[in-house]
Amino acid sequence: MKSMLPVQHSDVLEALRGFLKSFLETGTVDALYVPLETEKGAIVPALVTDPARLEHLNPFAPTMPINGARAVSALTGKHPPAHMAVLLRPCELRALVELVKLQQASLEGVTLISMDCPGTFELADYSAHKKNGGFDLPAYLAAAQTGQDPVLDGLALRNACQMCVQPVSTQAAVSLHLFGADLSSGIPLEIDDELAGKLEISPVAAEADHHKAVVEQLTARRKQLREKELLTIRMQMNSNGGIAGFFDTCIRCHNCMTACPICYCKTCLFRTAAFDHEPEHYMTAAHRKGAVRMLGDTLLFHMTRMNHMSASCVSCGMCTSACPSDIQVGAIFSAVGEQVQAAFSYIPGRDLAEPLPLITFQANEWTEVGEAK
Amino acid sequence: MSENQNFEPRIIAFLCNWCTYTGADLAGTSRLQYPPNIRVIRTMCSGAVDPVYVLKPLLDGADGILIGGCHPGDCHYQTGNYKTRRRYVALQEILKTAGFDERRVWLHWISASEGQKFAETVTQMVTTIKELGPNPMYANWAV
Repeated sequence: MKSMLPVQHSDVLEALRGFLKSFLETGTVDALYVPLETEKGAIVPALVTDPARLEHLNPFAPTMPINGARAVSALTGKHPPAHMAVLLRPCELRALVELVKLQQASLEGVTLISMDCPGTFELADYSAHKKNGGFDLPAYLAAAQTGQDPVLDGLALRNACQMCVQPVSTQAAVSLHLFGADLSSGIPLEIDDELAGKLEISPVAAEADHHKAVVEQLTARRKQLREKELLTIRMQMNSNGGIAGFFDTCIRCHNCMTACPICYCKTCLFRTAAFDHEPEHYMTAAHRKGAVRMLGDTLLFHMTRMNHMSASCVSCGMCTSACPSDIQVGAIFSAVGEQVQAAFSYIPGRDLAEPLPLITFQANEWTEVGEAK
Repeated sequence: MSENQNFEPRIIAFLCNWCTYTGADLAGTSRLQYPPNIRVIRTMCSGAVDPVYVLKPLLDGADGILIGGCHPGDCHYQTGNYKTRRRYVALQEILKTAGFDERRVWLHWISASEGQKFAETVTQMVTTIKELGPNPMYANWAV
């Protein structure tokens, strides 16, 4: 059902705080996973059990230190120890759906809360901005109201956010709307009827609902940019001797893998001794090619990761943000991932009921594969 | 291509123990002729061929990779080759998009009784790879 969180004195944060507090105070959940703000203004995701801690709440801060799906995976495991509500951005929620399918998280007793995401800025950009004065929340929300991309001191959104075509989620029990909304009088939301009963929320019809129109306009614009950028990458991969050149500056820190919500393996092949060769191996390779890159197997690492997670890649861009060499890892993985996903008509994060493409099969598919041409 | 006439491709073949490896054995015991360009690695199932086994030689410069498995429906482990097929489709998409020639990686169903088919497949693959020329990754030192 549709409702509205009342906002007093234009304080949207206080309105949201009151709403989330009610989850704990009514005993609907035992804990909340939400972004808090430290005294120095840093945004830190946290598991909150004491409503008093919500004084630090700030989910409007447009920065994303981690993909929250990884946190929910850590919090729930196979059997969540308590009832909890988790506030996630749409890309975090999509990643969580993939992690549940990969049996790395559970939604048992978990209430999903999603909020429209106008986009996030690089952590360093946001921190620098925060130090030089406050963050202009009204301007950020005004941009969301009209469907424009917000800016921060002239800095644009993270690359992945500029190209994000799924800035809203439809899978959560509570969806808070920012797009197309004038938040000065209230925050529009869609809420599960049963949950609304527990939280004593009654239906309120919005006076004029521009949500759908604004989202459509915003995603159409971003879709154009996304298609253009990903096509450019695909063309470069085809013309410049393949993907290899993209990773020339890779320092093999594995940050992309660590930041990736989908890469969950506890013992990644590339963190084992599998590719620690004997010293003679490198000499042989150098003699064969005349020269050999050290450390080796850099492209193999990226190609293998691509092979492992590109079907589930939700384009959150955490890998790009984590890359110290400014490689557009996320865009490269999205450019490839989209092709893999298209081959299996699979959209990651869309539906829990859709099986992962590589763990299922049909007997009568791709029957031409494996036969002589 | 004339410059490739003296080029002898190096092909790594992952053959499933129950079908294609036995098929290769049959080709040998039947004294069928096929080009000696393949280096065979026996796996228990084509489904046990992790794509990283394919990527490693391909990025190191092998000219071709052949995966051989039982015909769909005949897998010794019931469904291993159906999963191979999906993985192969995904890998082909990745290779294609990333700018590799996906025609260097073959998946063929060859049963234990198809020695003739095995010899023909290898012959056909060597001809095709000769036309494609050497794998450019062989000379690429910066990967």
